[in-house]
Amino acid sequence: MMILEHEAKALLRAVGVAVPQGTLIKPGARAPKVPAYPVAVKAQVRSGGRGKQGGVIRANNAAQLKTASRKLFNTTFGDEKPEVLLADPWLPIERELYLSVTIDGAAEGYVALYSPRGGVDIESGKPPARYPIGPHWKFRAHELRAVLETVEKDFHLREKLIFLAQRLVETAAARDCHTIEINPLARLKDGELIALDAKVVYDDWAHYRSADILAQRNAELARVDKLQRASLAMGHMYVKLDGDIALISGGAGMTMGAMDMIKAYGGKPACFLDASPGPTSTRGYKPAFEMLDADPAVKVILVSVFGGGTHMNRVANSMKENMAMRKSKKPVVFRLDGTYVDQVPAIFATFGAKNHACLEDAIKEAVKLARAA
Amino acid sequence: MSILLDRKNRVLVMGVTGNYGKFFATDSGGYGTTIVAGVSPGRGGGKVEGIPVFESARAACKATRADTAMVFVPPPLVRAAAIEAIEAGCKLVVATADEMPVRDTIEIRAAARANGARLVGPNSPGIISPGKAKMGFMPSFCFTRGPMGVISRSGSLSYEGSKRLTLAGIGQTTVIGIGGDPIKGTTAAEALELFHADRETKAVTYLGEIGGSEEAAVAAYAARKDAKPIAALIVGKTAPPGKKMGHAAALVGSKADSHAAKTKMLAKHGVYVCRDLTDLVTQARAALKAAG
Repeated sequence: MMILEHEAKALLRAVGVAVPQGTLIKPGARAPKVPAYPVAVKAQVRSGGRGKQGGVIRANNAAQLKTASRKLFNTTFGDEKPEVLLADPWLPIERELYLSVTIDGAAEGYVALYSPRGGVDIESGKPPARYPIGPHWKFRAHELRAVLETVEKDFHLREKLIFLAQRLVETAAARDCHTIEINPLARLKDGELIALDAKVVYDDWAHYRSADILAQRNAELARVDKLQRASLAMGHMYVKLDGDIALISGGAGMTMGAMDMIKAYGGKPACFLDASPGPTSTRGYKPAFEMLDADPAVKVILVSVFGGGTHMNRVANSMKENMAMRKSKKPVVFRLDGTYVDQVPAIFATFGAKNHACLEDAIKEAVKLARAA
Repeated sequence: MSILLDRKNRVLVMGVTGNYGKFFATDSGGYGTTIVAGVSPGRGGGKVEGIPVFESARAACKATRADTAMVFVPPPLVRAAAIEAIEAGCKLVVATADEMPVRDTIEIRAAARANGARLVGPNSPGIISPGKAKMGFMPSFCFTRGPMGVISRSGSLSYEGSKRLTLAGIGQTTVIGIGGDPIKGTTAAEALELFHADRETKAVTYLGEIGGSEEAAVAAYAARKDAKPIAALIVGKTAPPGKKMGHAAALVGSKADSHAAKTKMLAKHGVYVCRDLTDLVTQARAALKAAG
């Protein structure tokens, strides 16, 4: 998961990377204070493109700081409002650079990316120079030097970048980061490099060996509403969409395949919900139903599970229990297939449910019901 | 023929005394997989489902000539178990676990490379060579022997896709789940090379997703003059940009990650691109027909 800029900067500072000495501004602060002006007041949000959405404002004095703070706290970026702002000293920049270390399949590990022109338009410019590292212990200064020589003429700067990149890849490995991106990395007039912005994406699954990641996961759960939290706590992966046919599915690929097919049959998926927390587990369907039943946009629920390690007799029994517990009258369409699917009809017969033999039939039925609702 | 797995593989189960290990031993053993040993530290000397249990992979390999490992331990322990099996001499290691830190996969992959071994997974259903052997929990009835190689980034989609092929009379040489994580033990490019070298495989069906760079590798293979015909289904047409769709790698972060960009690139290089799941059999047939 992505963490906020000020958290990412704290991580960088802890491993010896220069970052501005910024001040955090909390909502409700009547007269925010900073040690000196001017400052860059920056909305702390996880969605990208903040700069282009007016999320960074220069303030030259206390009055401007107050106005800027109020404005940023009242702006929505993507789908989030800033919980906190960061006021960084406005520094004398000579040049904005781009440097990142990220996970890359083709590199079989980490890759370092560098562009001599960083900033908000990094994606529209020439693609950055690329150094495939592999596992973090394969980082070699001379290999990165050879890559940098093709794009960066200043050898003082090159050596500083190599030193910094090595720090970043070691940090990515030690702290379980998928990505550490510094954009812009500023070269100041005195030649020093400083991280003006920082983006860190943590590896969610390293929560058992990182107090930071565990805390971020817990904070993420605390940000969503109670019903969604119960579903996420079961290990479900949920993304809300704008349609009316909710999907309870298993496996990311199959869930997307079903979403696409709903669209192909003229319906609109209400969510991506991968409810396959463990290969033999059927716990956890209950919070999924509770969340979707309470969602006014959802008109029909389609349960589509094709399981291997998830056994269909258990899923069918879980459905029976869930249907008995539910108060909502929203129709539910079933399509179970996979291991022990032969036991499903007998279980479904005990509570009058029908199991569709193929996904197309189940989706046609769901689309029909959604239109009628 | 098949790739990587057949009845000759002598399989060692890491974590054999757990629930998954036990289910695997009966289900996969019943399918024909040659399971020769289990490892469970502290429980060596006994038997589970008729399989002898050893203290370490090294002891198991020495006593049983195991050359393949199936890893069924909790995610935090997969790295240790997989590397132990690799260093004990296993040449194929299958790890199905999801929720694995990427850093651990990087290390396993490096250990496999250093020892001339291959990892399949993680976050994968495993691998099955229909009618011969399977390493994973896939429902056996979805698969049958035949000329189609199948590569999938997603577990349940590989069951769904294979069942559709099987019902249409298109059997499979091997179905390999390369997994949904950003770092893969076996990539799409590597799986394609294996199918390319396999004489029985006439064509390949690729089941992909939005996000990541695997589809670019598929297009690069398809562009080769001697490439075997490929049918491909890319799911995630309706996924919103910037959101992780379950799999860590399934995220549209840039234009190249999108469904439109991927299908366009694949079609340009002669891949039989499926409109959606319903279209899978039609395109797979077309690929087989092109193979002659």
